[in-house]
Amino acid sequence: MSRSDLSIDEVRKNQSTSREPPRKCGALDIVISRKMFAGVEGPLTVLRDISLTVQPGEFVCIVGGSGCGKTTFLRILAGLETEYEGCVRLDEQQIAGPDLNRGVVFQEHRLLPWLTVRDNVAFGLSRASSPERSGKVQHYLDLVGLRSFEREYPDRLSGGMSQRVAIARALAGCPEVLLLDEPFASLDALTRIRMQEELLRIWQAEQTTVVLVTHDIEEAVYLADRIVVMSPQPGTIRNLLPVDLPRPRERTSTEFSGIRRAVLDELLAHTVV
Amino acid sequence: MSTAEQNHRLPWKAAAAPAPKSRVRMKKWRFHLSDRLLGWIIPLGILVVWEILARLAVLPPNWLPAPTVIARTIYEMGATGDLWKHVGVTITRVAVGFLVGATAGTLLGGLTGYFSVARKLFDPLLQSLRSVPSIAWVPLFLLWLGIQESSKIALISLGALFPVYLNLSVAMRHVDPKLLEVGKLYRLSSFEMVRRIIFPAVLPQYIVGLRSGLGLAWMFVVAAELLGASSGIGYLMIDGQMTGRAAIILGSVLLFAICGKTTDWMMNAAGTRLLGHRAR
Ligand SMILES: Nc1ncnc2c1ncn2[C@@H]1O[C@H](COP(=O)(O)OP(=O)(O)OP(=O)(O)O)[C@@H](O)[C@H]1O
Ligand SMILES: [Mg+2]
Repeated sequence: MSRSDLSIDEVRKNQSTSREPPRKCGALDIVISRKMFAGVEGPLTVLRDISLTVQPGEFVCIVGGSGCGKTTFLRILAGLETEYEGCVRLDEQQIAGPDLNRGVVFQEHRLLPWLTVRDNVAFGLSRASSPERSGKVQHYLDLVGLRSFEREYPDRLSGGMSQRVAIARALAGCPEVLLLDEPFASLDALTRIRMQEELLRIWQAEQTTVVLVTHDIEEAVYLADRIVVMSPQPGTIRNLLPVDLPRPRERTSTEFSGIRRAVLDELLAHTVV
Repeated sequence: MSTAEQNHRLPWKAAAAPAPKSRVRMKKWRFHLSDRLLGWIIPLGILVVWEILARLAVLPPNWLPAPTVIARTIYEMGATGDLWKHVGVTITRVAVGFLVGATAGTLLGGLTGYFSVARKLFDPLLQSLRSVPSIAWVPLFLLWLGIQESSKIALISLGALFPVYLNLSVAMRHVDPKLLEVGKLYRLSSFEMVRRIIFPAVLPQYIVGLRSGLGLAWMFVVAAELLGASSGIGYLMIDGQMTGRAAIILGSVLLFAICGKTTDWMMNAAGTRLLGHRAR
């Protein structure tokens, strides 16, 4: 019997016996009334009137057309953009800048080419003692299935492997929230499906809150507890669609297609052609 | 677990198997070796022809002595200990001048690369100074510092400074901002940022700068010693010219070549070591 036959709650119960202690999940309370950028042709409002609450341990996917401000939104959650009107709180604490309680995976893997896979994963752990650090690195490399590549350099890895190392690096700081910006966009369809399964497994094992940005509607329906549909100019939330399908989800089932259709309709309704 | 384990059995694992890799490396190595042998054919041929022509007195011996005569001259000077004194003096000058110049270049390059204000302040000045042929400074250095060591060191330092400065400054300005953002994400202090991201990122180009700085240090030591010195390989050359002994001049050229090549090789080896897997 494979793990995916278990319900999430059962998996989580089993996980509590594993080496890593269960972490505190982060609850996000997001209000962004306006985010502007200084464009070439004057100031540009990129995000407007966004308000969203993410439950601890929830898996939220954000979909929306190109340029509607998804990356900007995620960067605000990461603390990389701090100039905006509004307030973003993680567990009642206002986010003022980057912190280890939020792990970030960018669209590109952004691994440091001069460090081995192991040292890349350990990058944020310089304050930990050396046995603690190597324990964590081993744990997260096991989790993404790359233990045997720990001594390799990033230029020897495939795109999917690099992205998994980036996920391990983001998880190594034991974040309460994992933020992913189109992490699988550059992968081929087969690898992408495999990575999605792996991400679900990691999410279930690590019990973090996840916010994932994607272009891929199927990916969102497959992964999310809730789908946030964004529309452009200025970027704002159009609709929140819950996905009440049990996992593992069957991509070809009628319910799955139904939700996919609904998300697509929602997106198309706000696209000016 | 089963899905995860299956995921690891992927095609790229097979590609990384050791056997075919080492075979490829072997082939490459043999190819390089024969390349190197090819490179020796012409110089060795020239030496042999030169030797024969000199022996047959086709070439006047006071004009172009045979290679064996040059070798013997060097050997005899080495036996009396004179040679080592001159070589030592020249190497010391290059070492001190290079250290001073590279240090100044590193400081200026680092400063202008890190702070854009410093770049706006210093870069135009340094760029225009760079376009002055450095030999043009000689009279001024002689006036300020006299004919002693310090004017020579100053000239060599100036030669080494610019390539180090330029390479470091440019490399620092072009560190991938996406990697800098990773450092920001992990809340690195400015010092940690330099140590853990900027320095490793600029290292390859910095080493290139150091290597060309060292090359220029050797060029400038020749200039400095030809312009007035009582010791050093350059002095040997002048001495050979004064006393009309071509063997000494040619021997000195050979010594310069050997010394320059050796230090460059050492620098290269150190750089390769520092760069680790990135050196290829
Ligand atoms: N640093 C910046 N300065 C100025 N404008 C910016 C900046 N970053 C983003 N923008 C603008 O903000 C808008 C939203 O960009 P963002 O990258 O958030 O979109 P996105 O939804 O992630 O798009 P994609 O799906 O193509 O990645 C774009 O119009 C972009 O031009
Ligand atoms: Mg984006």
